Order: sequence, then structure tokens, then C-alpha cells
Amino acid sequence: MEFNLDSKSKEEQPFKKACEYVLDEMNGDFVGLALQNRKGPDISWHYAAGNRNDKYKRITVRYGKGIAGRVISTGTPMKIEGFPNNIHGKALDYPIMLAENLRCAFAVPIQFKGVPKGVLLVGKRTVQPISESDQHKILDAAKKLEKELNSLI
Amino acid sequence: MNTQPLKNNISSYIIQTHEEEIKRIAMELHEGVGQSLSSLFSGMQLIETAIEQPAMRIYAGDMKQLLEKAIQEIRLLAVELHPPTLTTFGLISAIKSYMKIYTSTYGIEVEMENLGIESQISDRDSITLFRVCQEALVNIARYADTTKASILFKWEKSMLLIMIKDSGKGFEVEAAMNKLSGLAAMCERMHLIGGNCTIFSKEDHGTSIEISLPLY
Ligand SMILES: Nc1ncnc2c1ncn2[C@@H]1O[C@H](COP(=O)(O)OP(=O)(O)OP(=O)(O)O)[C@@H](O)[C@H]1O
Ligand SMILES: [Mg+2]
Repeated sequence: MEFNLDSKSKEEQPFKKACEYVLDEMNGDFVGLALQNRKGPDISWHYAAGNRNDKYKRITVRYGKGIAGRVISTGTPMKIEGFPNNIHGKALDYPIMLAENLRCAFAVPIQFKGVPKGVLLVGKRTVQPISESDQHKILDAAKKLEKELNSLI
Repeated sequence: MNTQPLKNNISSYIIQTHEEEIKRIAMELHEGVGQSLSSLFSGMQLIETAIEQPAMRIYAGDMKQLLEKAIQEIRLLAVELHPPTLTTFGLISAIKSYMKIYTSTYGIEVEMENLGIESQISDRDSITLFRVCQEALVNIARYADTTKASILFKWEKSMLLIMIKDSGKGFEVEAAMNKLSGLAAMCERMHLIGGNCTIFSKEDHGTSIEISLPLY
């Protein structure tokens, strides 16, 4: 029930496109999509748009830690405003925020058969928080991605 | 009355007991909780294969996955608290394993070079060196805004030199050293074991930290 995203396949296109679409639609600076790997419990950032470097590719998300790890472990959306202030734990527990120099983020779970298996994150490098309406758009985008994923696998 | 040596001894003593306590917790996590979870994992694997009802089988599979995550998390936490190979395999080996975790956590690639022959150093000295390297690398992840860093070990006849470099943001060293924080503590810890620590940094020109320790 894991996603086979190790090989570059046609199936990847929707995800990359989705990230770019979300970035276009929203007043964000960075969009990332993390998914659970095929083997083992690891979660990594498979796709991004607006990224300033390729650190996201090497980051393995720690279950329960940071923004993506917490979204997956709790299955609920999470927002961060004014990073590195107002956070749960240490700044170092938020590698994607550090890697992309983000100040705000909104991250939502992507479920597969009711189990959170991925995260869609939108981040900003400025301090103004992600608006209510953008949060709704992100939730909608995640729902759409969920549908695609569930129909693919 | 000169109380400086006494003060240094007390600082050393506090640091050492603190390190021993961290080590104990790490071992407890690894060998206590970690082992129990591993046994649970094996048990769950057995149960999963024996279940015939598909829905329950999937449920058991999910629980197994959750256990796997917990085991990995405990292992990482233990390694993060105290490098398990430091005493047995030495500084270089411990740094190498730390680097793997570091890169997969922060996405920063570290180029490592080891020149000369590693000599035996005391537990106290090696944990100090390890902590100093760790602090420098963690600072890079947190502040330097860079994708690469490098670390060089140079084992000379009577001296170990370590250089940790990044070409990131840089900062004003004097202002940073006046705060009571990681960098200042790092230098202090090096002094306590008879070594030295020098920090070079310039805004937009990266940072380089040089550590030396006499070897006897
Ligand atoms: N490699 C680096 N690149 C850029 N800036 C750095 C680097 N290392 C340190 N700094 C700057 O120096 C300051 C002091 O660092 P230091 O490690 O002493 O404290 P800290 O990391 O903020 O706190 P602590 O280490 O106690 O958690 C940091 O706040 C940061 O601004
Ligand atoms: Mg620090």
C-alpha cells in the first residue's frame, strides 16, 4: 500500500504539476509534497516547487517531528506562524523550514484509505501568515491529490 | 586565594556527570525500551501471518508499521543523545555515523576528510570533540543557509586539528561570543580539556571553526 515513487514514471506528473499549481494559485513561496516511501517507515519530500535548493530531496522526515512528521502522526493540518518563534519543540526539529528559510507554513495530511501517508505543505519566506482562504485552497488541493493517489494505486 | 583551578575542576566534573547521565539514558532507551519494542515487533509479525481475516490482518500490519517507526525513533533518539560507537570505535567512526543522520535530517552534505592516523584519545576528550563538532554542524543547519559543509581531521604527531567549514551566511563572531550560548560553551569545553577553539566568520563569507587538541 505504499507509493512507488522511486522510479521516474508517468504517474509522477500529477504530483509535480499539483505542486506547481498550488504554488501558482497561492501567495506562497514554497510548496512541498512528502510521501511515505515504498519500503520502511520513512517519509520524504518527493516533489517541490519554489524551492531554493535541493536539500528537501535529502531530508527524511522524522515521524512525529517537525511539521510534516506531526501532520502525518496526528492526521490533522498544522500551521506555523513566525518561525522559529511559536513552535512546539526546537527549531532544529523543523528541517524543511530551515532548509527553505520559511517563516510561515500550512501543512495538511494526504490520506490513503483513511491513513495519513503524505503531507502537502505550503510555506512563505515572509512573516505574514497564510490566509484563511489560502488554507482552504490548500485543503482542497490535498483532497484532489488524495483522489488521484487513491485512483492510481 | 586563586580559585580558578578549582572552578575548572568543578566545571569538568559537572560536564562529565552530565555526559554520563546522557549516556545512561541513551543506553536505557536503546537496550531497554528499544529491545522491548523489537520483541513486540517480532511478535506482531508472527501474529500478522497467522491472522486469516483480511481486515484484521491489515490492522496488524499497520500496528507493525507503527512499531517499526517507534523503534527507529528510539534508535535515532539514543544515537542523538550519545554516539554509541564513540568508546568502541573512536571519534572518526562516531562522526561518520552522525554525519549520515545529519545529512538525512537537514539535507546538508558534509564532505569529510581524515588525514593521518587516528590515535587513541580518552573518553572525556573524545566526547568533548564530538560535542564541539556536533554544535558546529547543528549551527550550520540552523543558521548558515547552505547546502554543503566540510569537516577535516588532521592527526599530527602531537596534535589533533579539526576544521569545520561552511560557505554560508556567516556572522559577526564577537557579538555572538558575548552571548552565553553554544559557541562560547564549545570554546570553554575545549579549554577545559587543554585544547583550543577559534572561530572565523564574516557576513556572507561563511564560517570556519578550528579546534586543536594536544595529543600525548
Ligand atoms: N555556521 C554559522 N553560520 C551563520 N551564523 C552562525 C553560524 N554559527 C553560529 N551563527 C550565529 O552565531 C550565533 C551564536 O551561535 P551559538 O551556537 O553560540 O548560539 P545558538 O546556536 O543561537 O544557541 P545554542 O547553541 O545555545 O542553541 C547564532 O545565533 C547565529 O546567529
Ligand atoms: Mg548553537
